[in-house]
Amino acid sequence: MSAPQDVLTDTGPVRHRHHSRPELGALLAAVAVFLFFSVVAESFLRPASIGTVLYAASTIGIMAVPVALLMIGGEFDLSAGVAVTTTALTSSMISYQLTAITWVGVLVSLAVALGIGSLNGWLLARTGLPSFIVTLGTFLMLTGANLGVTKLVSGTVSTKPIGDMQGFASCHWLFASQFTVGGLTLKATVWWWLGLVVLGSWILLRTRFGNWIFAVGGDAAAARAVGVPVARTKTCLYLGVGFCAWVLGQHLLFSFDTVQSGEGVGNELIYIVAAVIGGCLITGGYGSVVGSALGALIFGMTSKGIVYAQWNPDWFKFFLGAMLLLAALLNSYVKRRAERGPGR
Amino acid sequence: MPRTVSLLLALTLLAAGCSSTGGLRAEQARSRAVSSAGGAVDTPRWKVAMVTHAGAGDAFWDTVRKGAEQAAAKDNITFLYSNDAQTQGQVQLVDAAVDQKVDGLLVSLAKGEALAAPLARAKAAGIPVISINSGQEFSARFGALTHIGQDETTAGQAAGTTLAARGRKDVLCVIHEQGNIGQEQRCAGARAAFSGQLQTLYVDGVNLPDARASIAAKLQADPALDTVLTLSAPLAATGLQAVQDARRSVELDTFDLGTQVVAGLQAGTVGFAVDQQPYLQGYEGVDLLWLYRYNLDALGGGKPVLTGPQVLTKDDAAALAQYVARGTR
Amino acid sequence: MTLLELTEVGKSYGAVRALEGVSLEVAEGRISCVLGDNGAGKSTLIKIIAGLHQHDEGRYLIAGDEVRLGSPRQALDRGIATVYQDLAVVPLMPVWRNFFLGAELGSFRLDIPRMRSIAREALARMGIELRDVDRPIGTLSGGQRQCVAIARAVHFGARALVLDEPTAALGVKQSGVVLKYVAAARDAGLGVVLITHNPHHAYLVGDHFTLLKRGRMAGSHPRSGISLEQLTTEMAGGSDLAELSHELGRSDPKERPPT
Repeated sequence: MSAPQDVLTDTGPVRHRHHSRPELGALLAAVAVFLFFSVVAESFLRPASIGTVLYAASTIGIMAVPVALLMIGGEFDLSAGVAVTTTALTSSMISYQLTAITWVGVLVSLAVALGIGSLNGWLLARTGLPSFIVTLGTFLMLTGANLGVTKLVSGTVSTKPIGDMQGFASCHWLFASQFTVGGLTLKATVWWWLGLVVLGSWILLRTRFGNWIFAVGGDAAAARAVGVPVARTKTCLYLGVGFCAWVLGQHLLFSFDTVQSGEGVGNELIYIVAAVIGGCLITGGYGSVVGSALGALIFGMTSKGIVYAQWNPDWFKFFLGAMLLLAALLNSYVKRRAERGPGR
Repeated sequence: MPRTVSLLLALTLLAAGCSSTGGLRAEQARSRAVSSAGGAVDTPRWKVAMVTHAGAGDAFWDTVRKGAEQAAAKDNITFLYSNDAQTQGQVQLVDAAVDQKVDGLLVSLAKGEALAAPLARAKAAGIPVISINSGQEFSARFGALTHIGQDETTAGQAAGTTLAARGRKDVLCVIHEQGNIGQEQRCAGARAAFSGQLQTLYVDGVNLPDARASIAAKLQADPALDTVLTLSAPLAATGLQAVQDARRSVELDTFDLGTQVVAGLQAGTVGFAVDQQPYLQGYEGVDLLWLYRYNLDALGGGKPVLTGPQVLTKDDAAALAQYVARGTR
Repeated sequence: MTLLELTEVGKSYGAVRALEGVSLEVAEGRISCVLGDNGAGKSTLIKIIAGLHQHDEGRYLIAGDEVRLGSPRQALDRGIATVYQDLAVVPLMPVWRNFFLGAELGSFRLDIPRMRSIAREALARMGIELRDVDRPIGTLSGGQRQCVAIARAVHFGARALVLDEPTAALGVKQSGVVLKYVAAARDAGLGVVLITHNPHHAYLVGDHFTLLKRGRMAGSHPRSGISLEQLTTEMAGGSDLAELSHELGRSDPKERPPT
């Protein structure tokens, strides 16, 4: 090894530029998947199909944004999937049981969603247990509460229809409307998704809080030592998950009118898959919000592309798993390069 | 050299180890016998999609699919199948089918209201819809031509009547999906048509060893029980094991058919099975869509077309066995 | 002027007495070295100074005011910056983000172009020329990372700098470079607490030497009162070492454990 004259002079070529682009791998994969299905599925490029693919991607992507931020902050949230159902159930049952305008349910469920987020954050900070365990606990509790409370209140496992209640139309407009531009029908979730991606990306890359997210995920002890409020940063990230779960939950309620209490289980892993394919390191400190959007888009294109290509959908999860492994390998390679130092 | 030897050894073992009964070869022979009939219609190549709320790898839905595929082959139809157990996923899949401008759509309506919007979209696109399996109360309202399936309450009542006729006194109805309305209706229907005691037990249907232990524990705890009633074929097999574990001579009756259920009927360990003929739901679904396209025919006169309940006992078992083995019953 | 002063400070973790009766004084433009073996109480001392832990006995004065620090933030606000051996920086973050971590420019929205150029300039002033402040700091060598952390503390107007084993994991050449920046920080008027187990490194730059052993003070000498040889001997264990060499000398070569 030939040491440079002055060890503190950066004499090597600028070669680590790609480290600032964690979403590069996901972008390439997204383009490849898009081209692939454009060729093999004739109905894939129709405007109506693109609308359906974007809708599928948005229902994953809305949650992938906060989940990616949380993973960059070094934590998991396994309760994210059922929390979506919880907010939809809360909103529906509050409005129905109180015979209130639907906005009352919407606001109460927002409070519940933020409550779940702060509970997760508080438990994490107070117990010092890994977030995997803490949120596994809240995941199971919410799964049971969803079923138990719904059955207690409604008598069945799904909520009563609220489509004829006052305020439904305006809530429907905000969360579940759709409009058509030149044959392309875009649902409200697509706009929410885009807005959240822009907001999340801006917070991560352009704000002081974003700097803290990277720091608490990269090395919480180092961050604490320079004065970053680690527990508060993580709690805010859990609040973000709660907020987005509320958005998606309200969409489910106002587009489907009733809510099934047993749903949402398993989706938390899909959100994590989208974030990881998008370049988030499972160990924290590295990743991108735009990447999570690309991950969700890949998910949407693959799951619906297989239908458009008229293939047997039995194999879908296999392809998804393979893609996840490839993404994770690429990411860990990047991390090793970044941690090892120059020229090695 | 050692490679050649081991290759020869492997071949010898293979030849010596061939089974003369059962296995893949027997299955292939059976399916050749089934599919020898070719397409006999002169209609153009239509496309029919089926979107269900089935979970991945469900044997019941595989039988539905087989029926649909068989009818599609006969009617010169391209059959597309997709499924998602979650509301949101099933809605998106129906949308995707409409995007493809299919010529007919078969949808299971277990999620009720949620499918109103995508089915309205199908109607606007001029795609005929038939609902299958579950959700007959929504079928007409959502603009479906008809509904093909079994009324769960009626099926439950059939089970209750049969239980009473067989002289059962104290029955345990095993619900394996907590929160499934159809399963609740089956148990409630059985209770309504049955004069004796009927209690329900909730078990975890995706964790069969746990379900087996739960049923066995209940049997040991309650000596008055003389019958176990399960609601699906896999749970019937699990229930049989639990009965053995508990060392109790109770009767097991079930809904739905499967290889082990038929074997049980033949051996006398299963009393009766209430079948809803899943094959028929898929087959008739595709065939009725073809008839509608070809001749504007519709079956049922605005009422559901019922494929069940059909109560099967030991007398039917021998004839059923071969059909279950090839996966069409 | 005295920047920080500890008088007879002690700390217990439950029944374990980690530190007892330790006194230390750091003045502007001076380097005060704390020497000790593993388990001597060095890291406890650092945590008290940096505000991660609170002392249970004695007095801790910063610029003449007695304090009990509740968090690292409070220590930073009083001008005390700590650079840890293993957790000085967040490896995957770019150099400029690390440089400003915890003291970002802009109330909520970051002023990124200014942060980049200030980071580059501040590093250059300390003699660290980095062409690309966007590279992850983990790609720098251990010595470089220590230097960035020191430059950061100097830039943010720290008045006292606490360095935890800055040369422990480094080779001879890089250690020399780091010590050069320690001296540069001293020349800039900072008071430095240099914690190390290497008497040679300490003697190169130190003005005062405090020795710790099993949580207690084992000596406190100004530079004029002690030579490198004496320091090395004391550090290596003093009389303990003499006894050990006596025992080793007597033992039969055949009975020595295989090496």
